[in-house]
Amino acid sequence: MSIHTIELRVNGQPRLAQVSGTTTLLELLRDQLRLTGTKDGCSEGDCGACTVIMDGQAVKSCLVLAVQADGSDVTTVEGLGAPGGGPHPLQAAFVEAGAVQCGYCIPGMLVAAKALLDANPQPSRDEIRWALSGNLCRCTGYAKIITAVERAALSLRSEAEHSQSLQGNDL
Amino acid sequence: MSQQGVIGGQAKRLDAWDKVLGRALYPGDLYVEGMLHAAVLRSPYPHARIRSINLEAARALPDVVVVLSGEDIEGPNAFGLIEPDQPVLGRAGSKVRYVGDAVAAAAARTPGAARAALSAIEVEYELLPAVTEPRLALAPDAPLLHEDRSSNLLHQVQLRQGDVEAGFVQADVIVEGVYETPFIDHAYLQPEAGLARVDEDGKVAVWVGTQWPYEDRRQIAHALGLAEEQVRVIQTTTGGAFGGREDINVQIVLALLALKTGQMVKLVYDRTESLVASTKRHPFQIRYRTGATKDGRLTAIEVELLANAGAYASTSAAVLTTAVTVAAGPYEVRNAKIDAQVAFTNAPPAGAMRGFGANQVGYAAEMQMGKLAQALGMDAVELRRRNLYRNGSVMHTGQFLPHATGAIKTLDAAVERAASLGLVPGRQVGRGPKRRGVGVACGFKNIGYNLGWDDKSTAVVELYPDRATVKIGTCDVGQGSTTIFAQMAATVLELPLAAISMVVSDTDIVPDSGSCSASRSTFVTGHAVMKAAAEAERRLAALGPNPPADALPVVVEHTYHAPATTPLDPDTGYGEKPNYTYAYGAQVVEVEVDTSTGEVELLRAVAAHDVGLAINPNLVEGQIEGGFVMGQGYGMMEGHQLRADGQPQTTTLATFLIPTILDVPEIVPIILEEPDPDGPAGARGVGEVPMLPTPGVIADAIYDATGVWVDKLPCSPENILRAMGRLD
Repeated sequence: MSIHTIELRVNGQPRLAQVSGTTTLLELLRDQLRLTGTKDGCSEGDCGACTVIMDGQAVKSCLVLAVQADGSDVTTVEGLGAPGGGPHPLQAAFVEAGAVQCGYCIPGMLVAAKALLDANPQPSRDEIRWALSGNLCRCTGYAKIITAVERAALSLRSEAEHSQSLQGNDL
Repeated sequence: MSQQGVIGGQAKRLDAWDKVLGRALYPGDLYVEGMLHAAVLRSPYPHARIRSINLEAARALPDVVVVLSGEDIEGPNAFGLIEPDQPVLGRAGSKVRYVGDAVAAAAARTPGAARAALSAIEVEYELLPAVTEPRLALAPDAPLLHEDRSSNLLHQVQLRQGDVEAGFVQADVIVEGVYETPFIDHAYLQPEAGLARVDEDGKVAVWVGTQWPYEDRRQIAHALGLAEEQVRVIQTTTGGAFGGREDINVQIVLALLALKTGQMVKLVYDRTESLVASTKRHPFQIRYRTGATKDGRLTAIEVELLANAGAYASTSAAVLTTAVTVAAGPYEVRNAKIDAQVAFTNAPPAGAMRGFGANQVGYAAEMQMGKLAQALGMDAVELRRRNLYRNGSVMHTGQFLPHATGAIKTLDAAVERAASLGLVPGRQVGRGPKRRGVGVACGFKNIGYNLGWDDKSTAVVELYPDRATVKIGTCDVGQGSTTIFAQMAATVLELPLAAISMVVSDTDIVPDSGSCSASRSTFVTGHAVMKAAAEAERRLAALGPNPPADALPVVVEHTYHAPATTPLDPDTGYGEKPNYTYAYGAQVVEVEVDTSTGEVELLRAVAAHDVGLAINPNLVEGQIEGGFVMGQGYGMMEGHQLRADGQPQTTTLATFLIPTILDVPEIVPIILEEPDPDGPAGARGVGEVPMLPTPGVIADAIYDATGVWVDKLPCSPENILRAMGRLD
């Protein structure tokens, strides 16, 4: 089995890893980098618990080979918050809305929602559903997850408006 | 005092931040330097006798540390919640009874080496005829699964109450139905996993996602011939359970491998192993006959139940008996005849799943009410209202119900809210190829252990003047029980929520609080926590304003026993008090059915549930919404398929389909609080009942849209087209 050396950024940190040609990005994150926030629910792309952001796109990390992530920028649930700062508004909104039960799907939900809000800061409930349609949850019935994403979008927008108005004052 | 932290407040779950930050550690997230990786060899055959198991080649492989079969187990090598009839591992001469039965296990330095070891194990099987269908399994010439039994009949229950013949004579209308429900999997998102190691004293510790650490400890000790004190079980963060983690999965094999290697061992199922090997909900075949007068009063029911136990006993006998105790639905009928049987087959073992037998009969009872309304030309809501339990009703078992007004209140609340949304059941609004319909259904189920089991729970409270520690064995498997117990303690002790530390589920540290199942935790452990806290508060107060340091903390252990219950009489089925309380719910849904394809879209839903008192309304809503959607899956899409030869067909989440976020409707949850006179602060419980009305309400709405009753779950396109006579 040949071993490949790959270089990637994970949650803003440069990481060097040695992987086989069959190692998945999920295995790299969990087994080697010990970023166990990313969950393994099926290993074959059906459940979405392993979702991470790779170069701006939400991907199921069990379906990505580690070698395919060579040179890429990966964000996991551990990297959602501001570097060295507080949690991401999505994380706060999930707590506030009661969107978390067993929690196993939640890292994947949060990451998929982050990719959505990065691309579409004002999604409708239907757009939220479509963005999370690859992420299974067996506990919550999804209702409070949708509400949490809506609330996070609102707080991100008001944050953005607030910082714009502050910048305006500086001028 | 923080208002959020008290009973009825909106406290945030205590574990939510760890979960959203990715810090919560489920068993698969535990990595220990040098740990071994385990794998289990499973039977590819539904029924076979093992002639021989040769482990030599596997043991000789590099990086393989041990390879074991049942011959390496010194104890009885058997487990089971009610009777230990399931082998931990196989040995020469023993049988495998379903595809997925465990035969051998390996521990190796890498996961790959463990898998390679399995491939190198040589098992010689003598194939035996298999039977997967319970009616065939009960035929005299059927292959016998358990040779210590005379037949495949695992358990039967009969009930004879009132005068059924006279009841049917008195009836103006009689409706009959034959219903069928499938195997389904719990499909919790976290596949089974755990770790084990032996400590310095020779005690084996197992970390696992479980619903009942003390019962796991008992079964591990029994199977391996250990004293219970030699075993410690620690619940990790658990990724859902729904009854499926009440039965043993990785626990015993892990303890065995740890004992044999002296090293930390980890075992993680993949999704296919989870779907193939784990317990399922029992499939039921139900024949149901209901009589009623023309003004809609039920006069008699006659019910036959035949359930598929799969290969091992698990909790089948209790599931069947519980089904009998609620088989009439929440409706008063004094003349009842029920014959119920559950049979072994070469299918995966069926065990506990959210509802515990109430779901199958609940669906059938609601279908009968719908058909009766149609036959009588009566409004389906009014028919239900006339028959629903009320204070002073007598059940079909003979049980007198002093308090049951929640039943009618939930129906009225659901119907009223639905009407405000423009949803009125029974209007036959559908025309054309895509037709809309609105359905209504009720549901109910007992809270807690029943039928004479002592439903008890122990809690320990350690109290200082400004803080307290609560120790309980009740597992939080995602529903949020740890948070509500903290709220209960904070309320009694008049402390802020942040001053309560919860210590949960480690058999070396906490008492046995029973299982997290049967919707019992709020009621039973809730009482234990509140009573222990009240006594601790009283003793602390007795120490005066400046209690001496050596008197602190004040420690109180309290064991609460729920009201006593009685078994059913074996001949008549009479039960003076088979259950100590019941939870009620009612739901209204709107569907759109595409009559050309049989596809159904669930558009809107109202779910009203009486929980006695919502300790944490946000968490209760979460149970209602999540339970509804699990009921939607059961009602519309789920089914673990076996071929007639016993080979499983739905071995991934791409084939065993559960609802996605695109499938679910907007759900309006309604919480009703009719206090339970025996419950802690009036609370009752909520875990199971939100999914009970759902398959029935979906089928009722489909009837409203199409004029066709779907008598076989799930209401999939295939089963709908078949019901419409458009598929053979």
